[in-house]
Amino acid sequence: MKRHIVETDLALYAAGDLRLWQRAAVHLHVRQCELCRERVAEFRADRKALREVADGLPEGLDWARLSAEMTGNIRVGLAAGECVAPRGRTRKSIPSFIPATWRPLALASLVTTMLAVLLVGGWWLNMPREDTQTLSRAMRSIWHGRRAMSDERPVIEVSSDGIELRKDGSTLGVGQDSAQLVGVSLSTEGSASAHYVNQDTGQVTIASVYAQ
Amino acid sequence: MRNKIVIVVLAAAIAATAQTPGRKIDFPVDSPVTAVSSDWSETRATPRGGAFLLDVHAVLSLRNSSQRRIRGVTLAVLAQEVMPGGKGSVSVPSLDVGPGEAFPLRIDLPLLCPLGAGGPMVEVKLDGVLFDDLTFYGSDKLHSRRTMTVWELEARRDRKYFKALLEQAGGEGLQKEILSNIDRQRDRPSAGVQMVRGRSTNTDPERELQFAFLHMPDSPVDPTTGAARIAGNEARAPHINVQNRSDRAVKHLEMGWIVKDKQGREFLAASIPSDVSLAPGKSGQVSEDSALRFSERTQIDSMTGFVSNVEYSDGSYWIPSRAALNDPKLRALVAPSPEEQRLFQIYRKKGLGGLIDELKKF
Repeated sequence: MKRHIVETDLALYAAGDLRLWQRAAVHLHVRQCELCRERVAEFRADRKALREVADGLPEGLDWARLSAEMTGNIRVGLAAGECVAPRGRTRKSIPSFIPATWRPLALASLVTTMLAVLLVGGWWLNMPREDTQTLSRAMRSIWHGRRAMSDERPVIEVSSDGIELRKDGSTLGVGQDSAQLVGVSLSTEGSASAHYVNQDTGQVTIASVYAQ
Repeated sequence: MRNKIVIVVLAAAIAATAQTPGRKIDFPVDSPVTAVSSDWSETRATPRGGAFLLDVHAVLSLRNSSQRRIRGVTLAVLAQEVMPGGKGSVSVPSLDVGPGEAFPLRIDLPLLCPLGAGGPMVEVKLDGVLFDDLTFYGSDKLHSRRTMTVWELEARRDRKYFKALLEQAGGEGLQKEILSNIDRQRDRPSAGVQMVRGRSTNTDPERELQFAFLHMPDSPVDPTTGAARIAGNEARAPHINVQNRSDRAVKHLEMGWIVKDKQGREFLAASIPSDVSLAPGKSGQVSEDSALRFSERTQIDSMTGFVSNVEYSDGSYWIPSRAALNDPKLRALVAPSPEEQRLFQIYRKKGLGGLIDELKKF
């Protein structure tokens, strides 16, 4: 075995995206080279994991809008980075070990990776805490070979702090900044109410949330 | 430096996702109240998972465009009517707004609506207006006629009680009673309670626990027997048998549900409203397919039920008298009426003189 196949070709091969003559050559090599075979297996596993993550994204996600928002955010971030960067700093050039012809591809890969990290990161950061807990519980159940439990029923809770409504991992709270909470009540019909009194006027406002 | 950039990027990302939702105030053409102005400047919508979380903060200025005095208003606040958490309401009882007068109404409600075409939208509709002659205007989709009428009857009862006290015991006697009630409200026990519709998934062994009842001498409906299923810290499927001992048919009643835990703590857990059809002298059952879940340390020991209000088929109502509410258990657990809460606040803000002036108004 004189030389291993470069990683980009292995990645394209794993995805079935190599040209026919290249695919045959790589296939021949991979059959004989254990190291490259392992790399191909890793690329395939990564693709599968990515597909699973994509399947878990919310239904009806507006990709065009999300993409526009992400692009805007990256531009804002880059502009902010420029603003806070020390003056006179020299830009680091792309490492010289990357051949000049590969540099556009490397740059495109870098941007794609950043977009992917921002997308998954943004999705994760925006996910409510209860969703994270639900996902963690589901993953633990799968890990332990049990069926994941789900609570599809709406739950409303009252306490001395007010009302919370929970449904599918989302939590809804009720509060009035300008008034004092003087009581909460729960109805078995499916609603919770919080009574507030305006400190200045004494006007009573009753805010209610309906579980269905 | 890298941290600063990350913070700037994340702050920009969060700011970019929050947006101002659309809003609409939709009152009928012949509505007795009209929206004079509205301020929605603090209302925001933020995408969370597969839905928008709408943080609705608005102040509406409404005018009484009718010829009667308004005692209560209920607005429905809708983000998505059929989605759990997509519907809310704001009620203002104990009003006294004359024809042509304006009054403020504050909306502070977080709501949920699904991500979808058109973006987030909040719609405010009039559910009902109650006048001083107890007549009602509105669509009544949220049953605001019943709730506002009960609040108004409670307000009249409580104002009458305090006025009588003022006449009999003077300002000092009124002050003593008000201070005692404020203390009781402050000390009123409360517990975290979750309400779940439908069947419970609790796997603890179940037992049936019988209700005890507080019988009010003048109540037209008397509870006879009842029970709920108890599993651990959860009580579900309450069912109570009641008898109409009045000479009028009853179409709706509401019961209070008091729970005592094994540590001896008691609190008002929930109300059980129910549509019934009880002819004079006949019996029926009040039941709900729902579960109450208490905190982990609350182990249910006993339950008590009492009738809190009744609506007759002719549209009139019964509410407990102040004497009936003087039962030691009810005094400690049942919340004061909205009017009593308003009078407490007037006393706190303006003192005894302000309270007496308020009682003399009507």
